[in-house]
Amino acid sequence: MSNLATQRKLVEQLRREGAIERKKVSQVCKELISFCEAHQQNDVLVSGFTNQKENPFKEKAGCMII
Amino acid sequence: MSVITEEPNRLTPIGAQNGELSSLNLGSNNGDTIEELTREVEALKKKLEEERAKFNDVALNVVAQKLEPITGFQLKARRSLKGHQGKVLAIDWCSDKRHIASSSQDGKLVIWDAFSTNKEHVVTMPTTWVMTCAYGPSGNFVTCGGLDNKITLYKLSTDEDISKQKRVIANHTNYISCNKFLYSDQQLITGSGDSTLKLWDVETGQLMQTFNGHQADVMCLDISPSEAGNIFLSGSSDHVALVWDIRSGQYVQIFDGHESDVNSVKFHPSGDAFATGSDDSTCRLFDLRADRQVGIYKKESILFACNSVDMSLSGRLLFAGYNDYCINVWDTLKSVRVSILYAHENRVTSIQVSPDGAALASASWDSNIKIWA
Repeated sequence: MSNLATQRKLVEQLRREGAIERKKVSQVCKELISFCEAHQQNDVLVSGFTNQKENPFKEKAGCMII
Repeated sequence: MSVITEEPNRLTPIGAQNGELSSLNLGSNNGDTIEELTREVEALKKKLEEERAKFNDVALNVVAQKLEPITGFQLKARRSLKGHQGKVLAIDWCSDKRHIASSSQDGKLVIWDAFSTNKEHVVTMPTTWVMTCAYGPSGNFVTCGGLDNKITLYKLSTDEDISKQKRVIANHTNYISCNKFLYSDQQLITGSGDSTLKLWDVETGQLMQTFNGHQADVMCLDISPSEAGNIFLSGSSDHVALVWDIRSGQYVQIFDGHESDVNSVKFHPSGDAFATGSDDSTCRLFDLRADRQVGIYKKESILFACNSVDMSLSGRLLFAGYNDYCINVWDTLKSVRVSILYAHENRVTSIQVSPDGAALASASWDSNIKIWA
């Protein structure tokens, strides 16, 4: 694409983007935080496993007595 | 400033100031000149910036101040997947949460059982630098490609040599840096050094859509967690991330801020925001609805490029792999570093949280893949 066509496309894009509806940062931050709080319970990388035995990558014990 | 255009009907230089051809008239479109357009772009960008600034009433880490900090975080390197003879460039988890595909500078595609650390398949590609690989959502197919400018599809089966069941399904005019399936085994999106992204029908290898807009090499892409939005993300050496409308093929939002190549883009699990990693050694969080950057993750002591980012299941943790051999773990909300994962002996190229959020896989130039859990 030529320089001119690229610039034209960019102008159109910027006009479109200027017209989109925005939310306040404070509002979107609150929503990101609530999403996080709603899912944090199941996020084992944050809260850890309640029992290490549930960790599929936990190394097996060295020996087992039956 | 000299302007080169390929338009055959360019005529009448109208702004020959200082003896230079500083603007060109195409004779159409109300006599737009490159100068006028450039001026308009600048004006629009300024207006857009002002508009965005109006909505920037408070910072994310301020809103998150009252949250409890993350304590007791601990991840250990539980597995080492060894066998590649060169730099590991890409990894992808299978939806079964157990297998991992990896591709390497050594020209190999390997399918690993991450539990046992066994290699289940090894495929030798005709070229080295296999820069990207992807598992189909069903777990029955794997694709890979790189410097060969192609994506080859392999059907996985237990008993056969899978390289006999291969098919080229995508191609570009330059190297392929990234590829991802779009919600099913039927469609694939690829990103390339030719600065485009393309959507392919996997079955027929037919090109469905070309996404033009980046000004330089496409480095990364990510698919929205919500299918309804019909959008995906890309990042490029032109320093910006773009949000694309899959159906129209147009980009709908531009996100700038990074001062160098955007190496990695990853949707927040909510689908409303995304994280990036860049050669400028920062990670950032952009929100689609606020239409701007809402978080930045950096430290004076972090000087090296970030190659790959991913988020935990809730979006609270941001994992980032760097050229200084480290994986930094950030609190996405408070914008502070929670931990450093250090086990690799060379650049960390690719990291990915497992589909169930229980583990993190990392790949490195040290030719190893590690599983953290």
